[in-house]
Amino acid sequence: MPKTKLNILPVRTFERLGVNDTERDIRRMETENIIVPDSENQVIVQYKETDTETNIVLEQNAGLKLIQIFDRKTQTVSKLKANLAENAKLNLFQLYLGSDTVSEIITELNGENAFFSAEIGYDLKEDDQLDINLIANHHGRKSVSDISVSGVLRENARKIFKGTIDFKHGSVGAAGNEKEDVILLSKNVRNKTVPIILCAEEDVIGNHGATIGRIDERHIFYMKSRGIPEKKAYELIAKSKLMKVIEQIDNEQVKKHIYGSLMWGDYLE
Amino acid sequence: MSRKTQVSDIDRSLYDFRYEEDANDFLESGISPEIIREISDEKGDPDWMRAFRLKSLEIYHRTPMVHWGASIDGLNLDNIVTYIRPKSRMNTNWDSVPEEIKSTFEKLGIPQAERESLAGVGAQYDSELVYHNVRAEVAQSGVIYTDLESAMHDERYAEIIRSHFMKLVPPEDHKFAALHGAVWSGGSFVYVPKNVHLEIPLQSYFRLNAKGAGQFEHTLIILEEGAYLHFIEGCSAPKYYEAGLHAGCVELYVGKNATLRYSTIENWSKNMYNLNTKRALVDEGGKIEWVSGSFGSHVSYLYPMSILNGRGASAEFTGITFAGEGQDLDTGAKIVHNAPDTSSYINTKSISKSGGKSTFRSAVTVNENAVGSKSSVNCESLMLDRISRSDTVPVIDAKTDQCDIGHEAKIGRISNEAIFYLMARGICEEEARAMIVRGFADNVSKELPLEYAVEMNNLIGLEMHGSVG
Repeated sequence: MPKTKLNILPVRTFERLGVNDTERDIRRMETENIIVPDSENQVIVQYKETDTETNIVLEQNAGLKLIQIFDRKTQTVSKLKANLAENAKLNLFQLYLGSDTVSEIITELNGENAFFSAEIGYDLKEDDQLDINLIANHHGRKSVSDISVSGVLRENARKIFKGTIDFKHGSVGAAGNEKEDVILLSKNVRNKTVPIILCAEEDVIGNHGATIGRIDERHIFYMKSRGIPEKKAYELIAKSKLMKVIEQIDNEQVKKHIYGSLMWGDYLE
Repeated sequence: MSRKTQVSDIDRSLYDFRYEEDANDFLESGISPEIIREISDEKGDPDWMRAFRLKSLEIYHRTPMVHWGASIDGLNLDNIVTYIRPKSRMNTNWDSVPEEIKSTFEKLGIPQAERESLAGVGAQYDSELVYHNVRAEVAQSGVIYTDLESAMHDERYAEIIRSHFMKLVPPEDHKFAALHGAVWSGGSFVYVPKNVHLEIPLQSYFRLNAKGAGQFEHTLIILEEGAYLHFIEGCSAPKYYEAGLHAGCVELYVGKNATLRYSTIENWSKNMYNLNTKRALVDEGGKIEWVSGSFGSHVSYLYPMSILNGRGASAEFTGITFAGEGQDLDTGAKIVHNAPDTSSYINTKSISKSGGKSTFRSAVTVNENAVGSKSSVNCESLMLDRISRSDTVPVIDAKTDQCDIGHEAKIGRISNEAIFYLMARGICEEEARAMIVRGFADNVSKELPLEYAVEMNNLIGLEMHGSVG
């Protein structure tokens, strides 16, 4: 059975960069449909262990807080497609705690004032691999997307994050912001970042930012001067990248699960 | 009723004049081994170059068409004339250049610029260099500035050419690199000896006059240790209905602690396909500074690449792209950090108007050995109406943890708040908009040579139609 190519960028670019190389042998894809009716709000927590496709429809004024935890398991393929109507609000939280994961998130901001936020964190080590392809398609007037990604790569981990904000014709007054912050903690890691903005509308604002590299030595020096050993200082800063996402999850059970997976004990030091 | 302020196009009358060509000077259109052999015969190529051209042709035929950027469906390579016999041999005396060619370059201000502010000038008309001159004091310092073909036939430089020609951009790189290898003609060779600082720039100007033709000039620059050079490249062509093709190639070797500043103002006519390849190899402590203005052509693919190959080597790319009606300009830069403590900085601005499309495309690669390297990419795009398009497609690839990479991209329009602020200080709306657009392009225009900065200011000069009602 031929492998399926996954996470293809919405625009072409130089092939030699290998940004569209991910392919997987998908045998069975579970489908889950989530419809949040007009003016309702829901919170859903998902622990992803199998290949799944999640289809979300948020009707007018609907709100959904979706928390997805990708544990240290075998290969996982996740596809998330969301359609947001007028004033709908999707808050997505994703934590990738290892393994080999391919994750695609496509959000259609169809309605006026539709809002999409994504807080994504990852902690990868050993031979972990992660490929994320996030696309926010702005169709609606004054639609807003706010994407924040932060994480840590250790040992031989490999990660690619492709984030696209696409302002379609008609998305007057739309705004899209995206930020990625990657800490690299081993000379054998491989990080690719592809922050794309596509724009066919005049009255929009799009911002992208990315910082990639080691921890600032001044921060380590500061912590050492306060009596924190160097190794621990690195760990604390690395943890802080994940905590940016975890602290926004207001569900103690989920937090406990995450701490357990990360072997942080019951709570963060 | 208020009307929107329009940003005008450049007045192209300066560039669109043309002289008729003699059809007998044209080789047959299309690309075949016979045509390649004919070019070699015309030029008296040495055996190695004949073989290189034919090998490139083979590579060309088996390499798929490039497809990562703007559409080039309108380009029919079978219709492109790859070589036009020169009307004149290469001259070092301006008075010996044929009258109509001389008149073309005089209209473009090239001899005047040479007298006033350049250390040397090369002028290419269609397929071949027609004029090359360098000031006596510059030549005395050991600087060589000549056309590439003369250098290839000169036993003093022949081996240098052979050992460097298309080694940085091999024909296997992409289809148009292979095409270039097969049909190249014209272009400059510059050699700056150790520790020679050229305080005033050298300039080559490329003019494609013939319709339905291609220009495939090759520029090869070698800077020895501690040398400094500012090289300026200008390009233009008159407008025809037939598509033209520019598939030049630039190879730059920057020696240890040497600095090369390479400025380009590209103002091809808007039926040109500008598929140019530029690459620099920078040695220890060396620096390459690219300044690039892309205003003309129908379609452009242009991403100067810097390979930082020695400890402490650095690259700086400053570029502006202005895409107007009917233009699809795909521009950017590529950087490869391939040694410790290397650094790079990319700073670009794009303006899209009247249905034009600009794409910023970049690739920053930090290899395993490039520990302690730093890179910063900054790209800003301005949309001047809602029928245009602006995309940014950057890729960052880090293969070591010992690096610091920053990327920032912004896209937007002229903010109403900024207009309001300026108007509150007594500036009319039209002037306020003009000031903001000029300010947007300012950090690029101040990097350009003066005469080109003036040209760019003309380009984004504003027609004030607006009124507030």
